[in-house]
Amino acid sequence: MNRTINLAAALLFALAAPAMAQDIKVGTIFPLSGGAGPDGQTVTNAVKLVVDQINVKGGLLGRKLVVVSKDDESTPAVGVSRANEMIAEKADVVIEGWNSPVTLAMQPILARDGVLDITAVSKSDLILAGETNPYAIRINSSNGFDAAVIAKYVVGTLKAKKVAFLTQNDVYGNGFQTAVEAEFKKLNFSGEIVTTEKFAFKDTDFRVQLTNLKTANPDAIIVTNSSNSSGLPAMVEQYRQADVKSAFVGAVGIMLTTVFKVAGEANNGIVSADIYFWDLPPFNGIAESNAFAAAFKKAYGADPDKSAALGAAAVQVWASAVEATKSLDRKTVAEAIRGKTIKGTVFGDATFLPNGQLQPRYVVFKVVDGKNAKLEALPQN
Amino acid sequence: MSAIEQNHANSKPVQRTAIFIVLAATGFFLPKLLGGTSVAYSTLTTIAIFAVMCYGIDIVLSYLGEVSLGHTLFWAIGGYTAANLSVKYGLNGWSTAFATVALCIVAAGFLGAVTLRTREFVFSLVTYAAAVVGYEIAFNWDAIGGSDGIVGISALKLPFGVATFSGATQEDLWPVALTLLLLTLVFIARFRRSKLGTAALMVQMNPALAASLGIDPRKVRLAVFVLSAPITGLAGWLYAYQRAYVGPDMFETYFLVLMLTAVVLIGRRILIGPLIGTAILIAQQNLLSLGGDWNKIVLGSVLALVLIFWPAGLVGLFRNFGNVGLKAKE
Amino acid sequence: MNIAQQIVNGLVLGSGYACVALSWTILLGVARLVNFAHGQLYMLGAFVTWYAMTKAGLPYPLAILAAIIALGLLGALMQTAMMRLVMTQNLTSLMIVTLGFGYVLQGGSALIFGGNPQTLPGTLARAKVDLGSLWFTWQDVLVFAATLLLYGAVWLFTQRTRYGSVIRAVAEDPKLAELFGINAKLVYLFVFVFECAAVALGAALVAPRSPILTSMGFNEVIMTFVVVVLGGIGSITGALVAGLGLGLFIAFFGAFVAQAYTTAAAFALLLILLVIRPAGLAAK
Repeated sequence: MNRTINLAAALLFALAAPAMAQDIKVGTIFPLSGGAGPDGQTVTNAVKLVVDQINVKGGLLGRKLVVVSKDDESTPAVGVSRANEMIAEKADVVIEGWNSPVTLAMQPILARDGVLDITAVSKSDLILAGETNPYAIRINSSNGFDAAVIAKYVVGTLKAKKVAFLTQNDVYGNGFQTAVEAEFKKLNFSGEIVTTEKFAFKDTDFRVQLTNLKTANPDAIIVTNSSNSSGLPAMVEQYRQADVKSAFVGAVGIMLTTVFKVAGEANNGIVSADIYFWDLPPFNGIAESNAFAAAFKKAYGADPDKSAALGAAAVQVWASAVEATKSLDRKTVAEAIRGKTIKGTVFGDATFLPNGQLQPRYVVFKVVDGKNAKLEALPQN
Repeated sequence: MSAIEQNHANSKPVQRTAIFIVLAATGFFLPKLLGGTSVAYSTLTTIAIFAVMCYGIDIVLSYLGEVSLGHTLFWAIGGYTAANLSVKYGLNGWSTAFATVALCIVAAGFLGAVTLRTREFVFSLVTYAAAVVGYEIAFNWDAIGGSDGIVGISALKLPFGVATFSGATQEDLWPVALTLLLLTLVFIARFRRSKLGTAALMVQMNPALAASLGIDPRKVRLAVFVLSAPITGLAGWLYAYQRAYVGPDMFETYFLVLMLTAVVLIGRRILIGPLIGTAILIAQQNLLSLGGDWNKIVLGSVLALVLIFWPAGLVGLFRNFGNVGLKAKE
Repeated sequence: MNIAQQIVNGLVLGSGYACVALSWTILLGVARLVNFAHGQLYMLGAFVTWYAMTKAGLPYPLAILAAIIALGLLGALMQTAMMRLVMTQNLTSLMIVTLGFGYVLQGGSALIFGGNPQTLPGTLARAKVDLGSLWFTWQDVLVFAATLLLYGAVWLFTQRTRYGSVIRAVAEDPKLAELFGINAKLVYLFVFVFECAAVALGAALVAPRSPILTSMGFNEVIMTFVVVVLGGIGSITGALVAGLGLGLFIAFFGAFVAQAYTTAAAFALLLILLVIRPAGLAAK
């Protein structure tokens, strides 16, 4: 009798022990070095913070979460190596993507081996195109949605009659401009697009374009520049130096912390929009956002910006879906997110389109004090 | 032992072929021996592809003695040709490979012809300029991919008359990568013993002798350059199928520095030198990564220090130790 | 199209190119050394200037001096390491070694100075000059003036002094120069140190235009390449003319065609020129 009990106990122990020891691996692949290093670091920090918060509350499915963070060095070939490492280390989910080409290179690798892939920041439309990854999920907004907000402001609020574009010459910039022009048509824009000036992502000198724009003298210039660490702050300063009188309307999400830090006062008067501000409505009324902002400030000594929110939301969305379906299977979890609404994220209720795109909520703002990044939210009617 | 001397040393073709077959078979089963996981297959496939990429630049660097900074252009031509032709026109692997080789020869021919009348190091500058122009074209020309590149490249299809080989998974691609690598090794081995190969070596080592024998160094440079281009091009071709994504990142210095370091690290004119060099570098990046910044320091230091202190590569270092050992015995 | 302003823009851009290109063309002309670490040296020069001003509290002129000295010393170190390769004129190895050095500088700077963008306060980059409807900054004036002065000084030195002719002799035929008792090693060392010091000066003057990052370098000096080859390798007047000319070309190409394609246009122009005239604008 004793031996049977001992045997049963031993068996139970043998079965239970591995299940308890198995942590859930949350992988992150972002640039941690190079030009986008500080940005990638912010997103990774936010992921780590939310994972800690979940662990404090008892973990997920009774298991502890562990973050495995890797550096893609903004190079697709390196990202592919890191993705392969994630597969070898049996990551249960990979939250990735600051640069679109790196995301696009990693997608097929992760999809082939059935690892759930959540894109936090990369903006390319190809990411959700479906063929490579039928279970793609993206947290950051897409050019299509962004264009609607900016177009509405320029046509409806600013009532501009002459509009010009200062566009980054790549798929992101050109795509955004095309989308805005399409929105103009939808809104029956009666004005004219006087000129388009383009530049390369790496450019830091914009005199030539600004001279042309000044001559054209539009009411508003829609600026699309994602080089938040060098090109954009330089552009803002040169814009003011050239004394361009047109309204500076920035594309969604380009006014990141570094732009304020570097260009300071020159930012005053810029109008743009973004999908998260910890201290502006509606986000300052969302409990999860306030909790996250407080914890982030405590842990890292800075207020969280949109990048941090994207990292946090990625984890929260995934964790919610896992908790709801009691599964870590890629298809199951993805289908609990795509086309569904997840409650309790820093964005409040997160509603996803069937193609995996999170529907964003925008705050249109004007910069009142660039040096201290003080913004004034503008009404969006 | 230089390549010229090696001609006489390795004069047992049967023995060599036997060794070759044994190595090929071992290579074929290597991923299984290392665990058979998809990661093992993909890592070894990557090493094979990058090694073939390096052999292209190796011919120019080791035998001709010149630095081509434009081989990323051929790497990209291979990738973009495979991507565009298979995605847009559904062409199979043979057609895209053939197109790759043709385009690389044309591009190399043009660049080589341009440098026919320039000084030696201007060759390097011209190849560098070509790579920059290539990058700008690839980045800005949306029809061939634009800044985001081409996604969803379908699996490699190689019809063999009755059956079609389909390289959908990493396991399937490994035999193709290994075959490409072995073919490249055979090609290089034959090149070393060919008239062009010895002419190139002579131009590098003893230009006066070459001139007296009526060898035109510029024509030799053109021929070697044109010969080297499709090798790197085919590596890029296979890379497109492995990664299922091709973009302007194919032009990044990441690949150029990898190529140069792999060739220089072990020693020049050693047949399997670039292969071992590539394997070491990929292993370091995947298994012993110290973070992006430290990796750069390590890679750069290796490149600089090897050339400064051991211009003959690590092999030269071992030879020195060997000589010291021999001297001690006496 | 504001022609006058675009001419000003072109001259501003061009003087920047010329300033950074001078050192590269001299090194290439004298030692046949292609320094692929030029971009990273530029970045390091900018960061040393920044560090001197923000952390050590030095005023701008002294910070420039600090950058020149720091990079000069670094150059001496690098050249000493490469000396054997230089003396044997092992050009291919030298090229690759400088590529390696560039990588080390990039990784090392990122570790020391961090990955965040920095600005250089206390320069004239924000002091605007309004000449009628034209605008530029006092920093632009400084760059233009300094470039002309630097070119003038170097030209005088190489063409009118004894030391200059020594350098030119080594450039023409190092072995022959050694037979005449010239210490080629010292000349090479001097030229390389000058290259590093001059690019530090260029960086200290031109970099304040925009935020600096440790990941920069390659793009900032890519035009140097075009300037040097267009102007004729080793030609001082050629580099100045080509630099200013390229700046004007970029300004007008950007104004009338498309600014985004200027790099492609410049390099395509370079390739065409190399086909027609392999020796560059200044044929020897």
